[in-house]
Amino acid sequence: MKTQENAWLWLYKIIAGLLIVVLLGIHFIVNHLAAPGGLLTYADVIRYYQVPGIALMEIVFLVFVISHSLVGLRSILLDLHPSTSIIRAANWAFILIGSAAIAYGVWLVIVIQSKG
Amino acid sequence: MQNAPAPSRFPQWFDPRKRHPGNWAFILNRITALGLTLYLFLHLFMLGKLAQGPEAYNTFIALAKTPIVKGGELLVIAAGLIHGLNGIRIAMTSFGIGVTIQRQLFWGFMALAAVGIGIFGYVMFILD
Repeated sequence: MKTQENAWLWLYKIIAGLLIVVLLGIHFIVNHLAAPGGLLTYADVIRYYQVPGIALMEIVFLVFVISHSLVGLRSILLDLHPSTSIIRAANWAFILIGSAAIAYGVWLVIVIQSKG
Repeated sequence: MQNAPAPSRFPQWFDPRKRHPGNWAFILNRITALGLTLYLFLHLFMLGKLAQGPEAYNTFIALAKTPIVKGGELLVIAAGLIHGLNGIRIAMTSFGIGVTIQRQLFWGFMALAAVGIGIFGYVMFILD
């Protein structure tokens, strides 16, 4: 197995990174301007998630951030020239951690939205 | 492969001598990436308090107003600005945009990050 980053994975990291810049800007502005001083109370957050489209935007943002960060961690690992067995194990660990984090985030969004 | 540090040369990672802007860009990108990933998972864990109800979340979020947490948040903002702006430069040069001026782009974006960090610091610690 090659211990170099696949070109498509690299391209995905770049494109996801650019999308994150845009989505983070929206996430940040909306989170901090939706209520005076930001979304700092439970009631503010619940109200925010009742706005149509917010839950979907946050889930899309979550998927890009998690995948970009884990593909990036893998790049750092690849820079250390790991053995094939280590990178194979790490691939599974990244897939498991990423899937679990996304599943947890989606569950959380559904729970928060249902409280409104 | 001068940008790719081998494990055997680990101590050299911390040697600031003879480094070019490209090295600094690489190092800053990696360090901020690790910090932001750590923050991402802490942030997700913290948001889990929302599922436990208003009391759990509001008690926890009160910590956000303490100076230590605000200092940590400013670090996250700094890392986000440095990583994001450096990332835009990487994306641009990856698609052949501004390749010959990437040194200037790097310093320009880092100056922009410094201004942004200053503004956030002022708003968070002086105005708030």
